[in-house]
Amino acid sequence: MKKSLLLLAPAAALGAAVLAMPGAASAAGSTSYQAQLNALNHSSASGTVMISLNGSQATITENVTGLAAKFGANAYPHVQHIHIGAKGNCPTTAADANKDGVISTTEGGANYGGIGTTLSTSGDTSPAAGTTLTVAPSGASFTYSRTITLDSKTMASLTAGTAVVVVHGLDPATLSKTAQGEKSDLVPSLPLAATSPALCGTLVASQMSSMPGGAADTGGGSTSGVQDQALLGAGGALVLAGLGAGALAMRRRTAADS
Amino acid sequence: MPGFADHGRRGWFTTAAAIVLVAAGVLALVLGLRAQRHPPQPPAAAGLPFTATMPSPAAGRSGASSPAKRPAATGLLLARSVPTHLDIPVIGVSSELQQLGLNPDRSVEVPPLDRDSHAGWYKYSPTPGQLGPSVILGHVDSARYGPGIFFRLGALRPGNTLTVTRADHTVAVFRVDRVVSYSKDQFPTLAVYGNTDRAALRLITCGGKFDLTSHNYESNIVAYATLIASHPA
Repeated sequence: MKKSLLLLAPAAALGAAVLAMPGAASAAGSTSYQAQLNALNHSSASGTVMISLNGSQATITENVTGLAAKFGANAYPHVQHIHIGAKGNCPTTAADANKDGVISTTEGGANYGGIGTTLSTSGDTSPAAGTTLTVAPSGASFTYSRTITLDSKTMASLTAGTAVVVVHGLDPATLSKTAQGEKSDLVPSLPLAATSPALCGTLVASQMSSMPGGAADTGGGSTSGVQDQALLGAGGALVLAGLGAGALAMRRRTAADS
Repeated sequence: MPGFADHGRRGWFTTAAAIVLVAAGVLALVLGLRAQRHPPQPPAAAGLPFTATMPSPAAGRSGASSPAKRPAATGLLLARSVPTHLDIPVIGVSSELQQLGLNPDRSVEVPPLDRDSHAGWYKYSPTPGQLGPSVILGHVDSARYGPGIFFRLGALRPGNTLTVTRADHTVAVFRVDRVVSYSKDQFPTLAVYGNTDRAALRLITCGGKFDLTSHNYESNIVAYATLIASHPA
């Protein structure tokens, strides 16, 4: 965390320097990228990705919800990558070449390209880790946060606007009967559902040179809870004393009457 | 019955004292409760589902559109110039603007919790009037000094106008589009800080319940506004 603070200054300076260049579009100086992840293959998931760059060091923050939750008895592993080097967009149903109702990872390749970086939870982030289920984030919803170094190919694609985040792993029950029986185009030992894309979004340059991580702490809390404790306390005490005196008076009169 | 008169007088005295005490107590309670100040919150209706101004959903689905094009900007845009003053007459805000950066945990810096705490502009966001989401933050209150500069932010309503004076002596006039309260653990980062197709402004403060253990509010109130005009200061 301390490191990121130190690294922030040069990143900001770089952004400011480029912004100050006459005629340069503000996007050119951006050191942040964002992607809105949209559902593919009838998944009901959604998500967002933010990447903050300092040179080739990328701090990635991702929030997804609505993915397939279980793979057998375990949390569903969702391999995810930055795909690069193609059209830089997400496929439509037109990409479903074999008409089985599922756009497989390969079928979507013409749109989003091959794997540039694996967004793994630990260790290797190269394409080699692309289908390593043990380092894939898992479950229906997750927040992924990791600082990694992007290779030159991914950096080039990011700058060119052709980097696309793809999250894989579908609920087999949502697939056609045909597709349910098919094997993965990437890992033949797995079913097609396991590696097919569920979420996809193109990374675009942020209009902010550095995007904040989330909520803001803009309150000290003085106007919450009990404020005028002395006045309220005194009032309460007076009421109680009065009721006590009243009860005493009542008892005396009752006693006197009898 | 020799004691009867005594008893009666003392009884009446006690009764009178009881009435006075209760009356004084109720008055104190009423005054105390009336003096309680709570920041206004946006109505539930203002929290209707957000329609993102992101370009990527459409671009992603069409498949035909070119990669990662920036959104076509709509409406008035101004050149970059650092904001110096914020006025929101409808909720009594007139504040110098300081510049805010990022905390080490990448959350946005907030102004110091001082007496007369100012609002602040997040310096890595576009300047007010430029294309994109310009961000201004202010405190709702401080434990020590009571209501903060954005105490009444939750009382803003769509259609209200506000102005930002900039270093280049232009005044950017914004109109409020919506005011929404978000739980902090479900803060929609991209909706608030993400790209827009216009010169946009986000005014942010705290709202909702105050968590006495963490000394934090549970929610953020965000007022979304759009540039509608500009004139010389």
